[in-house]
Amino acid sequence: MLLEMDSITKSYGLVRANQNVNFNLRKGEVHALIGENGAGKTTLMRILYGMESPTSGQIKIDGKPVTFHDPTDAIKHKIGMVHQHFMLFPAFSIAENIVIGGEPKKGIVFDRKQAIEQTIALSEQYGMPVDPKKKVADCSLGMQQRVEILKVLYQGAETIILDEPTGVLTPLEVKELLASIKALTAKGKSFIIISHKLSEIMEVSDRITVLRDGVVTGTVNASETNEEQLSRMMVGRELIKLERSEAKIGKPVLELKDVTIVGNKTKPLLEDVQFNVHEGEIVGVAGISGNGQSELLQAISGLMPIDRGTIALQEKNITGASVKMIRESGLAHIPEDRYLWGVSKEATVSDNGIMGHLSRTSKRGMLDGKAIRTLVSGWVERFGIKTGSLHTKAQYLSGGNLQKLIVAREIAQQTPFLIAAEPTRGVDVGAMEIIHGELLKRRDEGAAILLVSSELTEIMKLSDRILVMYEGKVVGELDAATATEEQISLLMAGGKAVGQA
Amino acid sequence: MDKLKSTLQSLVQPLLAVLVGLLVGAIAILIVGGDILETYREMWKGAFGSFYFLTNTLARATPIILVGLGVALAFRAGFFNMGSEGQMVLGALSAALTALYIPGPGWVKIIAAFAAAVVVAGLWSALAGWLDSKFGMNLLITTLLLNYIATLFAGYMVAYPFKDRSGSAALSQTEMIDASVMLPKLFQGMTVHVGFIIAIVATLALHFFINSTTKGYEIRMLGGNPLFASYGGVSRGKLMVMSMFISGAFAGLAGVSEVLGTQYRFLDGSLTSANYAWSGIMATLLANSNPIGTAIASLLLAALQTGGMGVERNTDVPLEISSIIQAVLILFISAKFTISFIKRKKAGAKDGSAV
Amino acid sequence: MDQLFDVSLFAAALRMVAPILLAALGGAICARVGLFNVGLEGLILIGAFSAILGNYLTGSIAVAILFAMGFSLLFSLLLAYMSINLQANVIIVGIALNFLAAGLTTFALRAIFNVKGAYYDKDMKGLPKLDIPVLKDIPWLGDVLSGQSILVYAAIVIVIVLQFYLFRTVSGFRLLAAGENPVASRSLGLNVKKIQYAAVLISGALCGLAGAQLSLGNVTMFTEGMTNGRGFIALVATMLGQSNPIGVAGASMLFGFMEALSYRLQNFSVPSNITAMLPFVVTIIAMIFFKSSGYKNEAKKSSGSSR
Repeated sequence: MLLEMDSITKSYGLVRANQNVNFNLRKGEVHALIGENGAGKTTLMRILYGMESPTSGQIKIDGKPVTFHDPTDAIKHKIGMVHQHFMLFPAFSIAENIVIGGEPKKGIVFDRKQAIEQTIALSEQYGMPVDPKKKVADCSLGMQQRVEILKVLYQGAETIILDEPTGVLTPLEVKELLASIKALTAKGKSFIIISHKLSEIMEVSDRITVLRDGVVTGTVNASETNEEQLSRMMVGRELIKLERSEAKIGKPVLELKDVTIVGNKTKPLLEDVQFNVHEGEIVGVAGISGNGQSELLQAISGLMPIDRGTIALQEKNITGASVKMIRESGLAHIPEDRYLWGVSKEATVSDNGIMGHLSRTSKRGMLDGKAIRTLVSGWVERFGIKTGSLHTKAQYLSGGNLQKLIVAREIAQQTPFLIAAEPTRGVDVGAMEIIHGELLKRRDEGAAILLVSSELTEIMKLSDRILVMYEGKVVGELDAATATEEQISLLMAGGKAVGQA
Repeated sequence: MDKLKSTLQSLVQPLLAVLVGLLVGAIAILIVGGDILETYREMWKGAFGSFYFLTNTLARATPIILVGLGVALAFRAGFFNMGSEGQMVLGALSAALTALYIPGPGWVKIIAAFAAAVVVAGLWSALAGWLDSKFGMNLLITTLLLNYIATLFAGYMVAYPFKDRSGSAALSQTEMIDASVMLPKLFQGMTVHVGFIIAIVATLALHFFINSTTKGYEIRMLGGNPLFASYGGVSRGKLMVMSMFISGAFAGLAGVSEVLGTQYRFLDGSLTSANYAWSGIMATLLANSNPIGTAIASLLLAALQTGGMGVERNTDVPLEISSIIQAVLILFISAKFTISFIKRKKAGAKDGSAV
Repeated sequence: MDQLFDVSLFAAALRMVAPILLAALGGAICARVGLFNVGLEGLILIGAFSAILGNYLTGSIAVAILFAMGFSLLFSLLLAYMSINLQANVIIVGIALNFLAAGLTTFALRAIFNVKGAYYDKDMKGLPKLDIPVLKDIPWLGDVLSGQSILVYAAIVIVIVLQFYLFRTVSGFRLLAAGENPVASRSLGLNVKKIQYAAVLISGALCGLAGAQLSLGNVTMFTEGMTNGRGFIALVATMLGQSNPIGVAGASMLFGFMEALSYRLQNFSVPSNITAMLPFVVTIIAMIFFKSSGYKNEAKKSSGSSR
């Protein structure tokens, strides 16, 4: 047994992120660690990599107990970690990124020439070609991940932890990654892969351990299980099918024609995007993060100018209009990143709540305290937002409760058009059901909703029509009733669906 | 209960700061060979010891409060307006020139002087705001540089074109303004004048504006998270120029109040050597950009300064002792040394993440 | 003195560049580790005063320079502790430090020298000037480059040393890494706090040298507030030079030249106030050519992301 984690428990105050978790890894094995958001997978691996200490429990390497105080200890024991959010230096070259921490040197001088030679040798040894002089900022995400893996190999890792490695990769890059993993295990390396992507896990793993709410619900051999069994172990219940009523489609509310944003990279950020959203329908935009969805939403809401094309809201041309004017023309917006765009952390719950509602909570330029209180406390009750009081600062609310506040705020504007971007990101299951219910309610009331989500299940659950974005273009439009996950995944990958031009 | 606790907690920090300031001051006094108790007694007397001294302190506080309020607004909006000194000087110069050369009865001149001061100072400040909004030029630096340009320009104006050539003194100053334009004193024979009332009213007005109006709300959100503000439809560029203008206007008010209420002319260097503007900025920092807190902090700083003068008069300790105490106060406040921080440190770093 | 652009102008320019350049290099190192050091102004002032103090106490130039570096270092330690350990806003701490420096130097001027406004001792020796052997004989260049104070030459050498350090050594590379991505650096086991401390202390020492050049480099005296905005001009030089030692040197040259020009113009009957404005006006105009990273990027960094 290469490494063992025995009875690991990790508590943050009253929260038990890991409870008596047993996990081990054999040499040359690919062992997947799966579970939903918040199941405790990343916490467990951060303990293994020395970034956290367990509250109780023991780690053993080659049978000998060890204690890690920080990542350098883990690295000394030949454990390397490729984080979900890359730990790279964009301004530095690939070679510099790979050798940092163990730079080849002549005295105090950094021997960059040696670094390049060693990078080339390493990439050839493991069959992962890279251009050592290229700046990491100019590399694709798949290439960046390759650099991260080469980095841990350079540091001498025998055990490699990959945290959600395929989230930002194109399907082609995923194939290359899985092939690299297989090639590396043939050379004696061992892998721990954290993921929630069942099909990929099934393809590449030897063993699979499932975590749910901090507890291990099972460790199985990949060859002896299937995706249904794994999801049941992950979720613990049958997935509820929300009933969606028949759509009553009205006239178009949002109309996009030939919308293009050139940007300053080789490919345009948005290219000839054209679609409509009608009254009473939810249009879901599927696609891997980073294929133009953020730019699309910013263009529609007025936060980013477009280079070509027109956008019309309720038949009014809003191309190039200010955010204020667009909102007044009938747009509300649940942003994809709540801390970045959706709130001011220092401000109170009520302050955050009235953004966009100033006209109904003020008289002649002065804020109406009573109206504010009535409005916001109404939301607190209806959505079950857990907060000390309306004067609590937003930073003290949990992510899920903050998201509920934002959703309540934007839905309460009762606008004919609503953008819902990643509406349930980082939100617990209970809140998710509430938010989904509210979105469907708005749709039944006749609103037009544009839903953007990286969770395919959410898209399929809520949408009437599904658009797929790939590299800034809309590459497919499907009727939700007949669309299948395979079709959508294929389009997300840049492939062509059967029967399409 | 929660609110009481948090109010108490937010008071602990400034009180602690004052304590540390007095402590460091005590050390400085010892170094100079003075007597700590006697020095601090003279300081108290100099600031509040008699009605005369008390009103002196209020008079000194007037421009500090006004500048502080302007800076508080800018800071709340998220803009580091460091240009109050230059704005104040230009406002004062404009007020003096307007009072001297605009024809008409006294009350017309007073209104014109106030208007000129507010507009000129406001525009000078808005200029920096515009440069940031249009060209992305760092506001902190531009406002600082504009300070020097403004004070040098004003100095030139009263050394050449508008110099007072009537008297024998070769000072760089304008002529004295007519008695009809002077702001009345609040009490016979005391230095404090109507400007102080204006400062108090301005404090309440700003407090109301920031907390109870929609524009004030937009400014607060802009300062809290500019992305959130633009997402919500708040126009950053327009609001930036507007808040910088108002911020400068307050500095202009400070300038005109000094010219019409205390000095009765514009004298090169008189406003800068007294450090009114920098004290105002200090007051805002001490009060965390809260308008009422800023007014209180301004009074505190003014008291330290007049107290320092008392110390200078009656002991061997130089008046600069107050500058040391002031600076230590700021340093301390900026440490955000809250009780909860100490608690967190004691809980140890191992339980939390290493990153 | 009839010509505007003559040798003595350029020689003066080089002399006036030194304080700005040294401080700007300090600012650049701090910027490279992610700290916007607004306190350069105060640190230079402390250095200027301490240099006079050291000279007064011992008459030795070496001690004066050590005093300058030492006290500025001490103050920068305060800046480092408050912004790195206590996590205070580095800009506010810098501003506070400037206040502290002004108050302390004024107080010390009274307390130690018993004068107000300025201290001047005509018998006090300033920084020694060096006549570079071969250089001084070159026709025009020699008169400009030779005969400058030792700190001017030190400044030039430091530019080269820093350029080499940052871009050729391993330690410099890691310093750049710490500023480029502190989270990634920490995950590699780099002690980002220690690197930041070192950067701030280096800037303190450099500002000490800048102050020494200011008070001992031409006329030996200390005047209250004698830095007169140079610390902020140095910051602009840092930004214009993109925190790159050679770039910073170039930008500083521009501002030093402007300062020399402003003094020279006084001989041509231009009012001193107007000429004194010149460096500041030029600095502002120069800033148009430097695009700040913009509030969107700054906001993204401070708001964090929910991803």
